[in-house]
Amino acid sequence: MHINWQLRELNLKIVYYGPASSGKTTNLDQIHRRVDPAHRSDLVSLKTYEDRTLFFDFLQLEMGKICGLTPKIQLYTVPGQVRYTGVRKLVLRGADGVVFVADSAPSRANANIVSWHDMKSHLVANNLSLEDTPIVLQCNKQDILGALALADIKYFLNVQEIVCFPAKAIYGEGVLDTLKAITRSVITKVQRQTATV
Amino acid sequence: MNTMKKPDSHTSLEMPRGLHLSASQDGVIHRILDNMMVKCPAEFILLAEISGPLISVHGEKGMTDLNALGALVAGDLAASQEIARITGQYQHAQLILREGPETTAFISEVGEQMVLYMRIRKEVPIGWARLIILKASRILLEVISAREEEVEKLDLDVSEDELNALIGDNLDSIWLS
Repeated sequence: MHINWQLRELNLKIVYYGPASSGKTTNLDQIHRRVDPAHRSDLVSLKTYEDRTLFFDFLQLEMGKICGLTPKIQLYTVPGQVRYTGVRKLVLRGADGVVFVADSAPSRANANIVSWHDMKSHLVANNLSLEDTPIVLQCNKQDILGALALADIKYFLNVQEIVCFPAKAIYGEGVLDTLKAITRSVITKVQRQTATV
Repeated sequence: MNTMKKPDSHTSLEMPRGLHLSASQDGVIHRILDNMMVKCPAEFILLAEISGPLISVHGEKGMTDLNALGALVAGDLAASQEIARITGQYQHAQLILREGPETTAFISEVGEQMVLYMRIRKEVPIGWARLIILKASRILLEVISAREEEVEKLDLDVSEDELNALIGDNLDSIWLS
C-alpha cells in the first residue's frame, strides 16, 4: 500500500493467484474489456511464446473518490506453472490482497491444493500473514461438466470461512463480484487498522 | 452520496504497513528529481513504490503507459534482486545498468520501499549519471525515513456498510457491461 497525501491517492495491490490455467489472466482480460477505458490502464502481459504468463499480467484501475481519497487498484496475476514458483513469490511482494482463482475441474483439485500451499509459503516469505491478508476465493470454470461445488473446493483447501464466488470468467460471470469483494476487503482492512489506533 | 467527513489535521496515528508520503515529503521528492533531471541531465526519471505504484515521473512521457512502466520497473528490480539472492550476490543499494547505443537506463533500489528509474542519452557520461542516481537514491531514502512530526490521518470514518456500498457503487459505475 502506498498513500500519497499530496494527491490523496490510495494505491493498493491485488494479486490473482492460482494453479496453471485456472483463469487468472482471463479475469484481468475481462476486467480490461469491461471497465471504462478512462478508468483503467492498458493490460500488460509478459508471456512466453506459448502465450502463457511468464512474469505477470498487470492492469490498474482508478476508482472515483471514496471518502476524499482516490483508490488506485493495481491488479497482477502470477504465472501458474509449477516452474515459476520464484516468480510468484516476487509478484506477491507488497500485496494488499489476494484473489485465489481455483479451477473447478475435478482433475485439478490437487493442483488447487498445491497452489494454495505455495501461496501460503510465499506470503510468509514476503512477511505477509495468511490471517491478516484479505483473500477471496473464486471457483472458476463452473460451466464445465462435473465441476466441483464451491463447498467441495473449500473443503479440499481447508478454508471454510473464506469469502467465495462461483465464476465462469471466460464469459465474464463472477469477475466483477470477485473484484468488488477483494476491493472491499482490502479497503475495509485499511479502515479497521486506522480506526483501532 | 457524500459521507466524507472533515479531516482532523492534528490527529496522528500509526499507519498500516506500506509507504506513506506526506505532502511535504512529496514536495521534497519532486525537487530532488527535478534537480537530477537538470544536473545529469536525464531524459526521463520515474520513482515508484517497490511493488509498482507510481510516486513521481519527470521528463518526456510521450505515449508511455506510466502505470505499466512502474509495474515493469518494480518487476525488473525484483527479478534482478532475486537473481542476486539465489547466486549469493545480494547486496543492499544495488544498481541495474542497461546500456544501449542510443540511451542507457539505470534502475536503483531506494531502500526497501522504492525504486528509481533514470534514462540518459548516449552523450551523458555513464559514470557521472551513476554517481547522480546513487546519490539521489541515498537522499530519497533519507527523505522517506524521516519521521514526520505530524502524520496525516487516513480519514475513512464511515461505517463498513457505507464503505462497502461506496466501493460497490464505484466499481459498478466504471463497469460498462
